[in-house]
Amino acid sequence: MNTPIATEADIALLLEGTFPYVSGGVSSWVNQIIRAYPDYRFAIVFLGSRREDYSVRKYELPANVVHFEEHFLYDDLNKPGEPSPRPGNLEAFALSSSMHEHFGQDASINEAMRAFRGLVQDMLPGGKLTLEDFLHSEAAWEIICDRYRRYCTDPSFVDYFWTVRIMHQPLWTLAGVAKTLIPVKSLHAVSTGYAGFLGALLHQSRGIPLILSEHGIYTKERKIDLFKSEWIRDNRNVFQRDPTELSYFRRMWIGFFEWLGRFCYDSANPIIALYETNRLRQVTDGAAAERTFNIPNGISIARFKPLREQRPKLPPPVLCLIGRVVPIKDIKTFIRAMRRVANQMPEAEGWIAGPEDEDQAYAQECHDLVRSLGLEKHVLFLGFQKIDDLMPKIGLTILSSISEALPLVILEGYAAGVPTISTDVGSCRQLIEGLDDEDKALGASGAVVNIADPQALADASLRLLGDPEVWQAASQAGIARVERYYTDELMFGRYRQVYENALQQGKGSN
Amino acid sequence: MTSLKLGIAALTLEITAWSAATLNTGSDVRLFAYLSSHLLASVLLALALSALLPTGSLRQRGTMVLLITVFSYAVPVAGFLCMVIGTLMLRTYRKAPDAPEFKSAELPNFDQHQKHHPGFRQTGLRSFLTNSAAPMNTRMGAMVALQYVSGRISAPLLRDLLSDQDEDIRLLAYGMLDNQEKRINRAIDDELKALAKSNTGENGDAPDTETQTRIHRLSDLYWELVYQELAQGDLRDYALHQSLHYCKWGLRLVPDNAALTLRHGRLLHCLGRSNDASAEYLRALELGLTATRVIPYQAELCFEQRDYAGVRRLMQTLGNGAKPPRLQPIADYWSLAR
Repeated sequence: MNTPIATEADIALLLEGTFPYVSGGVSSWVNQIIRAYPDYRFAIVFLGSRREDYSVRKYELPANVVHFEEHFLYDDLNKPGEPSPRPGNLEAFALSSSMHEHFGQDASINEAMRAFRGLVQDMLPGGKLTLEDFLHSEAAWEIICDRYRRYCTDPSFVDYFWTVRIMHQPLWTLAGVAKTLIPVKSLHAVSTGYAGFLGALLHQSRGIPLILSEHGIYTKERKIDLFKSEWIRDNRNVFQRDPTELSYFRRMWIGFFEWLGRFCYDSANPIIALYETNRLRQVTDGAAAERTFNIPNGISIARFKPLREQRPKLPPPVLCLIGRVVPIKDIKTFIRAMRRVANQMPEAEGWIAGPEDEDQAYAQECHDLVRSLGLEKHVLFLGFQKIDDLMPKIGLTILSSISEALPLVILEGYAAGVPTISTDVGSCRQLIEGLDDEDKALGASGAVVNIADPQALADASLRLLGDPEVWQAASQAGIARVERYYTDELMFGRYRQVYENALQQGKGSN
Repeated sequence: MTSLKLGIAALTLEITAWSAATLNTGSDVRLFAYLSSHLLASVLLALALSALLPTGSLRQRGTMVLLITVFSYAVPVAGFLCMVIGTLMLRTYRKAPDAPEFKSAELPNFDQHQKHHPGFRQTGLRSFLTNSAAPMNTRMGAMVALQYVSGRISAPLLRDLLSDQDEDIRLLAYGMLDNQEKRINRAIDDELKALAKSNTGENGDAPDTETQTRIHRLSDLYWELVYQELAQGDLRDYALHQSLHYCKWGLRLVPDNAALTLRHGRLLHCLGRSNDASAEYLRALELGLTATRVIPYQAELCFEQRDYAGVRRLMQTLGNGAKPPRLQPIADYWSLAR
């Protein structure tokens, strides 16, 4: 694997769990952006959970990526070496204690943020708040015990203690990364979370401008995972449990990611969303409204236009879900919808084109569901496929996701003349029905249904596939919409402006 | 004192062992007398010395006794002396253990009364959930409380919330519904895999009890998807037919199973085969199921056929006997109706 190293770069891209190790919408967008600006030198800082989760790169690094470094936040939680007793810096821990007090009160957000800014400076190597102090000092122990006594509603102190440790430890790894990163003129984080925290840390410590582009809303997606996750324990017995209260450890994790997001919003300018609903969500989550705006995704029309000629006259009875086989895509709803589609249109097939290695347990559940619904002949798992090969063979692109932003796959389908049936998530309604009156006048380029409603998904698909005239009209509306509003030229032009501004501000930093 | 006594006993026995060597008997007897006395002396010495060693775990102490015994036994006289000298030196010159580097910390107490409690409501879940103007935290709390409510009640509520205006509520509802469904589907898949491996009677011999249980359970699980309203539309039909398939299979194996007969009736009822369902309900009663379990379904069938006199007659047959609390008001209503 090619791992370039440089002594300086123009823009540092801060990526968490995405390009170049994961294929999918965000990775594809990052690849698109880097290649669009060959005159900028990019440094990539990749953040992952564990090395074993990211073994093979799915993308070649473009030539203008002059520096690449990767860090795995949960790989060295048990560093070798004997701990030694230490009192801990009382001043730093007092600041930490005060910050945590303010976290719980809506009225004290500004005080909390001020303390947060001061504290992260202390976390940098050589600062007053070291990892060793956090792990082994008496002051850290006192704070943990005190907060447990006063706030924790879960009786297990052992679980509380380890939750606090595991939650905070990666922040020191990131502080180390911030200290050693090569000089850059601007920072670009593609999410909040750990990557956003690193960006904010670099911004605070070096004064470099931080651009934040959010595809989904990281905090929200983490929340979904945390609500559903089965690894977070709840040790309350029947007498201790308040049925209306989420388990304490779950709330701790949610609060932790909310504050990482808030800290990133506090440092980033501009804060870019893909569409209006997400921009409003960013503002609700703590972003200053005047720093936010939207830049929708765009795709290369020239690449997909020739595919329109390869299409058969009648729409092929093939429903294709293009995406990773992961819970957020809700592949199971698509499989369930195929039960009805197969009942009504026996020649129809459902294709699932996407890698299955990211969440193998979920992929297995999907295969099991196909078997238990007797759909072995109607639903095919194709694995990763070249989109140019797929488009001429399919009648509809399907999105059954429970959360999306502005999915590229819908735009790619449109450019190739394929309409879409999608759940009502992210900007999908805007992409299918149009945003303003002018956009709406182009007509519907598919249909929108509620999440987790296989019956509605199947009926909408059957309506479109069963009527070639309606299908043709939707196909034409999609082509017109993508050519007018969602081209890569539009997107690149706006990002060029963003980068120019940031590089101008970044001159003389470091 | 015990240690001293044991030590004297060990010394005496060791002297005895050497004296035995001088006995005027056969060489085998002398050797046996020596070895047995020497072994006993070694054990007693080890026990005597172990009392002088620093305290340790029971396991460590046991290992030490064994080691001293083996050494004293294997190296006569010198082994004895070495062990005694070594133990005395260890006792005299051993450095006192260092004080622990870390202070031992006390675990904090858990006192739930100190914690702030959000308002606890036992009722009004539905109204909070469906009211999009209610404060977000209250709605989230109500959602969380739904996890302790039976699937039959929570599933339709959660399904309604899938189209809620607030995305967090939608996603939480989705997650909870998905978990309910996942649990049942996982169980179905496990049973199907196990059934595929077991003897299902295709060779002419009757399936074993375990296989019969699996068939029964598969009917239950598919029915659960319908009962909890987790399957809708075509998926509901599919689940009904699968449950019916395994129910019929179960009844072929055990024709007099009353519970399965009632299930058969319920499935036929759901599939709109009223006459067949009615016959199965009657048969379930004949097989001994209590009236309170069967009559409400018979009455429901009459109601659907607009045979209100039939409903009244059936509900009156329930009489004043013990009934489930939720059935009581219905029975009262139809008993009084004219």
